[in-house]
Amino acid sequence: MSRKKSQKSKGSNSPSSCGIPPAKENGKVGSEAHTNGMVLSGRPSLSNSGEFYDIAFKVMLVGDSGVGKTCLLVRFKDGAFLAGSFISTVGIDFRNKVLNVDGVKVKLQIWDTAGQERFRSVTHAYYRDAHALLLLYDVTNKSSFDNIQAWLTEIHEYAQKDVVIMLLGNKVDSTHERVVKIEDGERLAKEYGVPFMETSAKSGLNVDLAFIAIAKELKHRSMKLPNEPKFKLHDYVKKEVKGSGCCKS
Amino acid sequence: MDEANETAQDSVPRIDGYGFVRPAEFDYAFYEEFIARYHVVLTRRAIKWSKLLQQSAAVEKNMKVKRYIRKGIPNEHRSHVWMVVSGAQAQMDMNTGYFRRMFTEGEKNPKLLDLVITDLNRTFPDNVLFQKNANPSLQKDLYNVLVAYGQHNKTVGYCQGMNFIAGYLILVTKDEEKAFWLMDALIGQILPDYYSPAMTGLKTDQEVLGDLVKKKIPSVAQLIETHGVMWTLLVSRWFICLFIDILPVETVLRIWDCLFFEGSKVIFRVALTLIKQSQASIMEARNFPDICDKFKEITKGEFVTDCHYFMQKIFAEPGSLSKTTIDKLREKQRLKLISEEK
Repeated sequence: MSRKKSQKSKGSNSPSSCGIPPAKENGKVGSEAHTNGMVLSGRPSLSNSGEFYDIAFKVMLVGDSGVGKTCLLVRFKDGAFLAGSFISTVGIDFRNKVLNVDGVKVKLQIWDTAGQERFRSVTHAYYRDAHALLLLYDVTNKSSFDNIQAWLTEIHEYAQKDVVIMLLGNKVDSTHERVVKIEDGERLAKEYGVPFMETSAKSGLNVDLAFIAIAKELKHRSMKLPNEPKFKLHDYVKKEVKGSGCCKS
Repeated sequence: MDEANETAQDSVPRIDGYGFVRPAEFDYAFYEEFIARYHVVLTRRAIKWSKLLQQSAAVEKNMKVKRYIRKGIPNEHRSHVWMVVSGAQAQMDMNTGYFRRMFTEGEKNPKLLDLVITDLNRTFPDNVLFQKNANPSLQKDLYNVLVAYGQHNKTVGYCQGMNFIAGYLILVTKDEEKAFWLMDALIGQILPDYYSPAMTGLKTDQEVLGDLVKKKIPSVAQLIETHGVMWTLLVSRWFICLFIDILPVETVLRIWDCLFFEGSKVIFRVALTLIKQSQASIMEARNFPDICDKFKEITKGEFVTDCHYFMQKIFAEPGSLSKTTIDKLREKQRLKLISEEK
């Protein structure tokens, strides 16, 4: 399928300008379904995995090979971290998780990508379908941090204009091996205007928060109550984020 | 877990014959029933193959051998037959000592070493033979084969996915050097350029599959187009890993039997069969995420576990698939890709 075709069909599928899919695509809820700017009431739809959801979003994990994208995803999905149990991701793979965001069941389809450089020519084609991108580096690996700018350049080239981006410095549990300071991450995030936090897939630090913050932002963008205050992703992250408990400046 | 599964769990070992720990969701009950049937097949095939190889160990390329291979190469002969039919044996005989030189001599590309090392612990962590502290650990063999291959084929170097392929080759051959030459046969001749930096062969074949689905299973093609799902999202891993970690081990090895003898066309047969077999289920998908879920589901279950039946299906279900058709479609998609990238 060519890129052009997909873009065209994407446009015709999505009434909202930000490319978020209509809330009720399978029509099971009939008259209760509103596709734009309305909170959905009543029964949600049933996904294939047997879980109910009201609305679905695509989230992508990107970053260099070995920064812990899959570990982060598994920690979020299953609450587990088993050292040495992860396989290198080839091409692209996904896992689903349904979250309850302010009473709305939000299904996140989270795409996990191969970090190796040559796969970028394959994976950048997926960017345009993503509603949110979690960009990871490894705080114990300087080059993974140095490559963040290149990743952002690529994201800006291929992703939707209003894609939600969040920068994550992973593996903060490895305090002794840390080479990237939290301030470096903060500075870079500020420069690019993206929210930032440090995470640990191993300890679970801020992992759920990262995904929940994304889910909240996407949910608020797609179905905003008239008198609901605007959700501010940056403020939310700042308020909720937890420190790694050491090495504070 | 139901009762039948619990009973079966007592008789089916937790670790399979290749060293893989069976996953938590493993269907022991069905597997036990299948393996009882399959043992009969394996015994019959073993006798036939022994006779064939007694006549000549050279394994000629003829219709009888083709039929034999489609019915499965017995484990004890698999390494030998792969080596012979792929031409890897001939290469190895002509290049004595080459493999060893590739990973012992000369300056190593540090980037190559880095990439390979990053993936060592991430290759089959669910296999007891590949554990870092196994004695001996196949991680050492894996490292040697991947580094040697990267030094040997500098255009390809190392591409993620090759670690799994090398891993399977090591498990089957139990010999680094043979694994290296089989890897060279696969990447150098049998497969189009799936692993080179531009991955043109991979991108091409994904679109060729799209064309074939359009022709053979049009309703599914229509569904996928309607929801704007790119084929690469659904099937990139099928192609790059040659079904490793997608289908059960025994099924993958049966597919590879044909891959080494008949070439890369068999990948399309497998993909088309998976899609066609689950056509009704795929058609229930109502949106983009549903379709993606479906394509994961269709690679699981009894249909793919019963590798013998599955292999019969791949040569019947998709109908005719001539080399000319594949060649034409590949050429068309390749040109399209090149013009789009300009």
